[in-house]
Amino acid sequence: MTSIALILLALFCLLDRYLRRACVVFIAFALVMSFAWWRLGAPWLAAAELLLGALLTGGVLLHALGRAGDVPRLPQRDAPTRRGAQAPLRWLAALAWLGLTALAMAALFGTERLILAAGRLPEGGMISLVLSGLLVMALGLWAFAHYRHLLRRLLAFNVLGSGVFLLLAGLAGTAPEVQGLILVGLVVALVGSVLGVLLLRRLHALEGSVTLESEGGP
Amino acid sequence: MSAAMTPLLWLALVAPLPLGLLALWKPPYRMRDVVIAAGGLPLVTLWLLSRAGEGALQGSLALGGLSLHWRLDALAALLLLLTQLVLLASAAYAVGHRRAALSGDASHARFWPLLGGLAVALGVIWVAADLLLLYAGLELMGLCAVGMMLLPGKAEAIRAGLRYLLYALVGSLAWLLGVALLLGAWGTLELSALAAVAEPDITTRIGMALLAGGLLLKAAIFPLHGWLAPVHASAWTPVSAVHGALVVKASFFILIILWRLLLPEAVAAAWALGLLGAAAVLWGGLKAWRADSLKQVVAWSTVGQLGYLMLAFPLLAGAAAPVAAMAWQSTWLQLAGHALAKAAMFMAAGNLMFSTGASRLADLAGTSRRLPLSLMTFGIAAVTLMGLPPSAGFTAKWLLLQASLASGQWLWAAVLVLGTLLTAAYVFRMLRCSFVEEAPRHEFQPLPRGMDLTPLLLALAAIGLGLVAEWPLSLLRQGGVP
Repeated sequence: MTSIALILLALFCLLDRYLRRACVVFIAFALVMSFAWWRLGAPWLAAAELLLGALLTGGVLLHALGRAGDVPRLPQRDAPTRRGAQAPLRWLAALAWLGLTALAMAALFGTERLILAAGRLPEGGMISLVLSGLLVMALGLWAFAHYRHLLRRLLAFNVLGSGVFLLLAGLAGTAPEVQGLILVGLVVALVGSVLGVLLLRRLHALEGSVTLESEGGP
Repeated sequence: MSAAMTPLLWLALVAPLPLGLLALWKPPYRMRDVVIAAGGLPLVTLWLLSRAGEGALQGSLALGGLSLHWRLDALAALLLLLTQLVLLASAAYAVGHRRAALSGDASHARFWPLLGGLAVALGVIWVAADLLLLYAGLELMGLCAVGMMLLPGKAEAIRAGLRYLLYALVGSLAWLLGVALLLGAWGTLELSALAAVAEPDITTRIGMALLAGGLLLKAAIFPLHGWLAPVHASAWTPVSAVHGALVVKASFFILIILWRLLLPEAVAAAWALGLLGAAAVLWGGLKAWRADSLKQVVAWSTVGQLGYLMLAFPLLAGAAAPVAAMAWQSTWLQLAGHALAKAAMFMAAGNLMFSTGASRLADLAGTSRRLPLSLMTFGIAAVTLMGLPPSAGFTAKWLLLQASLASGQWLWAAVLVLGTLLTAAYVFRMLRCSFVEEAPRHEFQPLPRGMDLTPLLLALAAIGLGLVAEWPLSLLRQGGVP
């Protein structure tokens, strides 16, 4: 159930052109992630996800859009994007990333070793975590390669990161090492989002642009 | 081993952060203040190095149920010393730079805590002995580096910084995914335990491929170097110096250490990395040769010089012991020589640009007479990059040449020769522009003495390292090749 909710929320968050709604869906996604950690027996991680992921990262992303009456204010809707010159390269990198991960998963689940190494989770739970992690990651990679709008790329980066966390928990359970890695990852995602949002707002104020490409460039 | 070593090491590792915060509160106005405040740190490291013969210092930090492992061997101590010296020089230079070029710019104070954070991150990376500590160090370093790049606050700086931020964030997720695969397959994050249990099966290979992808992106290795030149174009000079000298090298360091531990015999993959390095040497050299602005020459030359480091992979993989030893020593000597020379070169280029008020090569006309010291510093730094004797670059390239000939891998020798020619081409192109005499320009901004002196000392250190190379190399030999 949790896995399906995560995949659907990731999908809605990344597809929505109305950016405010996309950010709100991202907060819901982070709340479900937090619930998933709690169910896996990692209450501290759940609290960290709640605070760092849902509250702070979600709040910062919403902050990017500004309030009604702000001048200048970011456009609230993202127009359909054109393909850039580098698009094929980005797609190739994303596909290589996904293909390699899927191959490694297939190899790992072919051996008994993984199940012995993790030991803490029932086998069905692990497989559903790994599968949902892979799907969420695929969505994040697709969105990151496809969109030009920087706020949508930041959303895609956060979703991609959550996919990696799910995969990590599926592979190695919730051992202290795993919780440490995810905690560092959450802090990095938060600081990265804060920096990205501040820069995006500044870039928009200076040049009126919301993408990395300068006007008239590729 | 004396009991004082561990606390002293951690004092030397962590002290830059409080010093940086102190400087945020009370910015230093004289270079002397910086040297007095932080000059003791390299001395501590030197003392630790003098005791390196007693074996590696190691231990673990317990945090809740988690234990983080660290280890200080001769290589880590040498890199720590190099880091402290380059950062100290950059901090001293930054004081002069602020006074001369950025007076009244309030955002400069934020440079100090970021520099402190960067110093802590680099130190943690050198001594880390497990993947979690490496991850934390890598991320702290990346975020501090992005922050420093953004300080100028202009639109181009923001654009370049955002691109760097996105690349760095995605690179760190690739790294995390690789770590997840290794942890899932082998059940540990500690490097020595991992090396003991891990076999080079398909999961390890894919995990390493993802790790390597993330690290190559952060190290700006060809073909993932796209972000490097734009980032330097708008950054402040001391920030460029620190970044080109140290930040990109840390990712390379992590990659080669993990590679030697987990996939020492993977010859085909090591050749692929070596070929990337060869392409980087040639492409970086060509782009530096064709570049218009002085800073772009130096930035592209970083891409090229990083390529030499990558040649270590094929020379180490499955090689006989004497070849591997030569390649190993040459790599670290090249890294140290390049770090000192590149920091000097960025500072000298920054001085020239500040004095002439222009950034294009064509605008350098007349500088040979008016700014001989900055130009000479640039030339001395270039001696190391070209690999002329007696510099560290010469000794490193000589060892690399011997290793490639002894192992019969002629290709790398050819790359070395071509790379040297390209380096000479871009250096002499820059020098030719500065010797043009029909100069319409007569106004040159005066430079504070310290801003001239700091890069000169760094460039001379790169030459001197070649003269005393036997000292670090003998320390490296004691440690052996992992």
